[in-house]
Amino acid sequence: MKLALRELRRRPNRFAVATVVLSLIALLLMFLGGLLDGLTAGSTGALRAQQADLIVYSATSDESLERSRLTPEIRAGVESVAGEDAVGGLGTVQLGARLDGRDARDLVPVVLIGYETAPRGLPDEVPGEGEVYADESLRAEGVEEGTTVQLGPARTEVEVIGFLDDSRYSGQGTLWGSLDTWRETVAENRPGEQAGEGVVQALVVQAGDADPAALATEIDEATDGATSTVTVQGAIDALPGVDQQQQVFNQIIGVTVLIAIVVVALFFALITVERTALYGVLKAVGASSLYLFAGVLLQALVVTLLAATVGIAASLAVDALLPAGGIPFVVQPARLIGSVGYLLLAAVIGCALSLRRVLRVDPASAIGG
Amino acid sequence: MFLALREMRRAKARFGLLMAAVALLVFLILVQQALQASLITSFVGAIERQSAPVLVFSVDGQRALQGSAISPELEEAVRAVPEVAESGRIGQGTFTVEVEGGGDAASGSNGSEAAIIGYEADDLGAPDELSEGRLPEAEGEAVGSAGDFEVGDTVQVVAGDEGPELTVVGLAEDAQIQVSPTLFVAWPDYEAAALADNPDASTIPPSVIGVRPADGVTDEQLTDRINAVDDEADALTRAEAAEEAPGVGEVRMSFQVIFLLFALVVPLVSGLFFLIVTFQKSRSLTLLRAVGASGGVLVRSLLVQVVLVIGGGLLIGTALYALLTLVEVGSLTLRFDIAAVAVWSGLLLLLGLVSALVSARQVLAIDPVEATTGGGVR
Repeated sequence: MKLALRELRRRPNRFAVATVVLSLIALLLMFLGGLLDGLTAGSTGALRAQQADLIVYSATSDESLERSRLTPEIRAGVESVAGEDAVGGLGTVQLGARLDGRDARDLVPVVLIGYETAPRGLPDEVPGEGEVYADESLRAEGVEEGTTVQLGPARTEVEVIGFLDDSRYSGQGTLWGSLDTWRETVAENRPGEQAGEGVVQALVVQAGDADPAALATEIDEATDGATSTVTVQGAIDALPGVDQQQQVFNQIIGVTVLIAIVVVALFFALITVERTALYGVLKAVGASSLYLFAGVLLQALVVTLLAATVGIAASLAVDALLPAGGIPFVVQPARLIGSVGYLLLAAVIGCALSLRRVLRVDPASAIGG
Repeated sequence: MFLALREMRRAKARFGLLMAAVALLVFLILVQQALQASLITSFVGAIERQSAPVLVFSVDGQRALQGSAISPELEEAVRAVPEVAESGRIGQGTFTVEVEGGGDAASGSNGSEAAIIGYEADDLGAPDELSEGRLPEAEGEAVGSAGDFEVGDTVQVVAGDEGPELTVVGLAEDAQIQVSPTLFVAWPDYEAAALADNPDASTIPPSVIGVRPADGVTDEQLTDRINAVDDEADALTRAEAAEEAPGVGEVRMSFQVIFLLFALVVPLVSGLFFLIVTFQKSRSLTLLRAVGASGGVLVRSLLVQVVLVIGGGLLIGTALYALLTLVEVGSLTLRFDIAAVAVWSGLLLLLGLVSALVSARQVLAIDPVEATTGGGVR
């Protein structure tokens, strides 16, 4: 082991290019993962923020908030099963937001969400009419507490009274207000989408002690099939593209890990070939194959850890340098740790391909046998 | 040349691993190139396919067809621009539908999603080219995106109130929007679908106004003129509307970063490989120089190996990519793009050769005299 570490210290140049290549692969892995996390977070934040177990959509909406409409009669049916206090209405509308000091054509895309049950990070009391909480991401656009935002072509004014974190929806920053604020804003700006009195797009339901799956079935039965009730995770999975997006990115990440395995295997196979004679001598003086392979493995792990560190630093730099609203890239510790894990696994597997060569070294070759 | 090939034959595992790494990288690059093209076509293919040369969005629509809503005042202002020869309403919405027939959209019959694009005039919103069938001639008829629908499919718009039933009478290639099966219908059918979806709606405004410039006016001149007339108008040519739709720029930028990183990995891996191999062969190369082999011959031998390994990797990677284009990846159709294959092959071969220059320099630096002392590469 000491020998392997000493070689790394004394001949760092030999491992430099491999470290650079693996660093690039590490950055690629982390960038791909960060992109996937950014896309997912940007699409699902508003749903993940719900402090509820179930979301009720109209049966014909295909679990799409935009296409779902629930009348007061349907709501009564839901409340008869889940209880009035456990049910809250939800409505969304995507609009352009105008901010003071910006060009007339320079709008910020936002989603106004009307709610009754407070999402994570907001007080239970719903804001007053014309007041909204804003997603933290909107700070990058210059939104601050007290900012008046003009929404849509009707320039409906809402005032920002606070912020909440990680609540983006459809890749856009969100504003959270009362259902009345939502209803009025829609009526003024989107006559084609306006909702009647008491109509909401969806209902969020807190299951309490009840089994969420059983409660969902009960709700749909109580409304005579007019609703489609799913868990919050079910609602996230139903968002168009989220599932496919994750599949495609995970496949690309998988092939990138495969490339890392091949690169490690290639590099350490070359190093092992170069050291065949040396291994013969070491075996002749009593070193076991296991000891020699452990040295190769240790070097591979050190090089990979170094590359992973460079990759993490580069990812953090990319995150800091990317302009807000550009590439949806998010750095998450879990993703970074996972990527390092994949790389270490690739190092072990790649290295294992050199094991056969180490085992085959004949100590007799040291004396010309 | 002879030595180069013999060395590759004798060290199959090493050269094979490098070729495998290059092949995997080429495969990933080409697949991602195809994914990017397919994603963008699925996002905005319908905008590129529709026939209006200029589309007027509301500024508030942020250049998203579904997000834009044209007020009566804006519609009137656009129609009044003297350079406008012809104009027509275009609307778009996403609806839950039930499809009966043979198209892919029918497979998830009970409540799948489809985008419906309604237009007033055939030459201002209908698909500009059909791969099969004809344009709608009566209410209740639709052109569907090829791959999702088949001629003869019936599509029931499922909504709170009874939605219209549509029959697919024509197909258009690359005509999706928002990665959804897409139907082009006459304006009254779109209006009926939107009203069925939301009975509370007081009116169904158009998403955009399609306009055609008067004789002697270019599309670009018309967009400038309309934008100057009304601050609420955001007029774009058809190509601009597709390119500047939300998400398209981000998709391109994200993929460019990924391509850049992959393009760097290929030459670095091959450069590293040949550098190490050159160091390992230094004694043999010194001997060869001492017995009369010129530096040029040895460098040529090295470059032949580079071309063979990267060329082999390109062939295998391209073959894997070609195989993948034969199957459907989710809802996306990956196409074999010969231009992408040619560009990436040329670029990666060039980068591979450039990366081998360091090894070539080492070969040229060999001093044949060192053969008498046991030295080699300095």
